[in-house]
Amino acid sequence: MDHYLLKPKGSKVLLLGNEAIARGALEAGICFAAAYPGTPSTEILEVLAEVADECGINVEWSVNEKTAFEAAYGAAISGVRSLTAMKHVGLNVASDILMSSAYSGVEDGFVVVSADDPSMHSSQNEQDNRWYGLISHIPVVEPSSPRDAYKLTKEAYKLSSKYKVPVILRSTTRISHTRMPIELEDEVFFERKCKGVFRKDYERWVLVPGNARKRKLELMKTWKTVIENEGREPFVSILNPGLKKAIVASGIAYSYVKEALDLMNALDKVTVLKVNLPVPLPVEPVKKVLEYADEVLVVEELDPVVELQLKSIAQTLGYKSRVIGKSVVPENYELSIETLYKPIADFLGSPAMDHWISIGTVKTDPPIPPRPPILCAGCPHRNTFYILRIAANKAGLKNPVFTGDIGCYTLGYQKPFETQSTSFEMGGSIGVAHGLSKSTDNPVIAVIGDSTFFHAGIPPALNVVYNDSNVAIVVLDNLTTAMTGHQPHPGTGVSATGKRTRRILPEKILEAIGYDVTVINPLRVKESVSIVTKAFENYRSGAKIAVVSRMRCALEALRLSRKKNIILPVYHVIEEKCTGCMACIKLTACPALILEPGEKKPRINPEICAGCGLCATICPYNAIEVKNKPSMNWETTWWD
Amino acid sequence: MKNVYSVAVVGVGGQGLLTLGSILGYACMLSGLDVSVGEVHGMSQRGGSVIVHVRIGRNPSPIIPVGGADHIIAMELLEAARYAHYARKGGVLTANDFIWPPPLSNYPSREEIIGKMKGKELLFYLFNANDLSNRIVGSTVSANIAMLGFALGVDQELRSIVNIKHVEEALLEHFKGKVYEVNKELLHIAYNEGLKHAEKK
Ligand SMILES: Cc1ncc(C[n+]2csc(CCOP(=O)(O)OP(=O)(O)O)c2C)c(N)n1
Repeated sequence: MDHYLLKPKGSKVLLLGNEAIARGALEAGICFAAAYPGTPSTEILEVLAEVADECGINVEWSVNEKTAFEAAYGAAISGVRSLTAMKHVGLNVASDILMSSAYSGVEDGFVVVSADDPSMHSSQNEQDNRWYGLISHIPVVEPSSPRDAYKLTKEAYKLSSKYKVPVILRSTTRISHTRMPIELEDEVFFERKCKGVFRKDYERWVLVPGNARKRKLELMKTWKTVIENEGREPFVSILNPGLKKAIVASGIAYSYVKEALDLMNALDKVTVLKVNLPVPLPVEPVKKVLEYADEVLVVEELDPVVELQLKSIAQTLGYKSRVIGKSVVPENYELSIETLYKPIADFLGSPAMDHWISIGTVKTDPPIPPRPPILCAGCPHRNTFYILRIAANKAGLKNPVFTGDIGCYTLGYQKPFETQSTSFEMGGSIGVAHGLSKSTDNPVIAVIGDSTFFHAGIPPALNVVYNDSNVAIVVLDNLTTAMTGHQPHPGTGVSATGKRTRRILPEKILEAIGYDVTVINPLRVKESVSIVTKAFENYRSGAKIAVVSRMRCALEALRLSRKKNIILPVYHVIEEKCTGCMACIKLTACPALILEPGEKKPRINPEICAGCGLCATICPYNAIEVKNKPSMNWETTWWD
Repeated sequence: MKNVYSVAVVGVGGQGLLTLGSILGYACMLSGLDVSVGEVHGMSQRGGSVIVHVRIGRNPSPIIPVGGADHIIAMELLEAARYAHYARKGGVLTANDFIWPPPLSNYPSREEIIGKMKGKELLFYLFNANDLSNRIVGSTVSANIAMLGFALGVDQELRSIVNIKHVEEALLEHFKGKVYEVNKELLHIAYNEGLKHAEKK
């Protein structure tokens, strides 16, 4: 019982926003949680999985967000409190069931955590998922800090139970991934309701048009009630009511507004409306502000969701206050005290004082090079990309297009690999490859990760066979979901809580669909090149082929070697043999290979080298060799 | 102490920046202070450039503004230079004496970076944390702990806010048994080194 998430009431713990949400949900009495990993949402389910057995709750990594949502929804319609969590784009995948769940509602609390990623720290786009509340007519709760997230998660469950509708809890990167000391208010150990009852009610659970029409009216009745009755703390709070100027701050924006006002010594000079229920925006508190304020500034991250609703309320009720928002507050990327200081100072007529005087940028010669994320030393994707390039060449594929997908391997878009020429959304590699193959003469090779294949790669793989296009599929099976921090998936045979479960192999699925599949071990580079060359030759003659490249993620392999005391090889460059041709650096871009300024020959940093040996295979002069004495069984860390 | 004391922890994904930030955050909590530690997860952790925002004060907002860092702790020299403008005039920058260039890149030498850094209105301290970690722990894995100890040693204001005893206690959140013991030893050696460096200035 010493997991930090399970500390007793009254303890103070330093929790990540996501952990705070998980703790809040546990206190609220959930007994089921399902999610698919995605930054910045992942740690919610991760930490719930760690404590699942101790709390006696069901926690799973589902194969995608739609599946996770449906599972958690299933629990909630039988009266078991549940949670699902996903990154913003995950809600796109689950949006079909989201819309319907609003119509049928729930029997007990159901919270959908949407973790948005303004500034795209780790995403393909930024989107403001508060809109989903407006499309689906589902209330959206938006905390202003990790501490708020903890309290508001519990409030979201109350709201959901009260109205019997799902509630979206919208977090953002700076809430999900910021730690704060949190004082725990309730216990997590109590008799939870874990067994529900499904009460048949065809008018409610079967959304045929006749039933859906009735449910829509019910839904809108709830929606209006929330607008009228929920303009109260903790969802909406008014600070300094009755002033001529008002700032309306939704979610995280409130943290910045408060700090800016503090710096300007203006905390008491303006009415502040702290909004934690941006959708639907409750009317009463807005009226209380507009009654007095001539000028209103709406501050929110990304889109003008609160601003538009507030303007609509003001217009409808005939208030003459001037309302501004996105005309002065940035609408792209995340906000900060820095970007907000000036608009707020301008609004208040405060002097634009400089609180932060920088030492200025450090300009070096040559300049500091950019450092985009890269494949780790020993990353199996590096080997596979190298193999794919050589094999495509050997098999005579002219101008092959490697369509790509989402995961660590997306980094293969970079030189020298260039084996990811597209990357849109999960599963897109195979889907887009089909269209490209139908519309061009290029050989098209879809390159997709293992977790991504299970998530959304299977339907497009079916489509390739059914509608007969010329697409080859390569599944990069590193035995984990690496990008989001190593979660298990159906191909690992391990569940979220670490239990053995039936392992599902991508090659079996692909074979069943109709592909000729070969499995390679990319640690053995030469052998793999000849196998893949053969497969590509078959592809050229019209066969449906797929390759599964299986080698453990380097970070996991290193962890395993430490745990099992297995010594991995470490390579070094033999100076006398090295001619300084740079083939190793140019063809692998491995971070362990270092060329010091002014030097002519590379060296290998032994702290970073993971011992995959790709550079040694490539070196035309055999100048790279193992320098230590690896364990006999070292290969088992990479492939078992 | 003013309203907020900001520490930016910068370096390369994989160098233990999150652990450093979280230990410092925990120590703040044990010292009875409010704090926020803004981390970076996902894509950038794969060898990308990373900044962790530690803000000590009441109900702080999560991001350090440019020119708003009172102290920058850099685990790597190129990253120290990349993020140096976050430092306020007269602030402190402590850097690990280690360059880890991005592959296939053209990059400035150690001397060039140090020279340019010394031209700034900044208290600049260099420390070979990799080396110390190697000597005490046997590998560079604990260079982050060494940097934290050193940074506290050189920064009088920071160490008056966060007590070294609380940092020691916070280590327990991450390490157990023998690993804890060596990291505690490393923390103290680095801290004393820091105190010595600060005296010299
Ligand atoms: C709809 C959606 N859900 C989740 C994510 C977050 N995400 C990015 S890549 C990825 C999976 C990566 O795993 P895998 O395909 O096995 O590749 P690896 O990172 O292991 O190379 C996930 C879940 C996303 N981008 N989109």
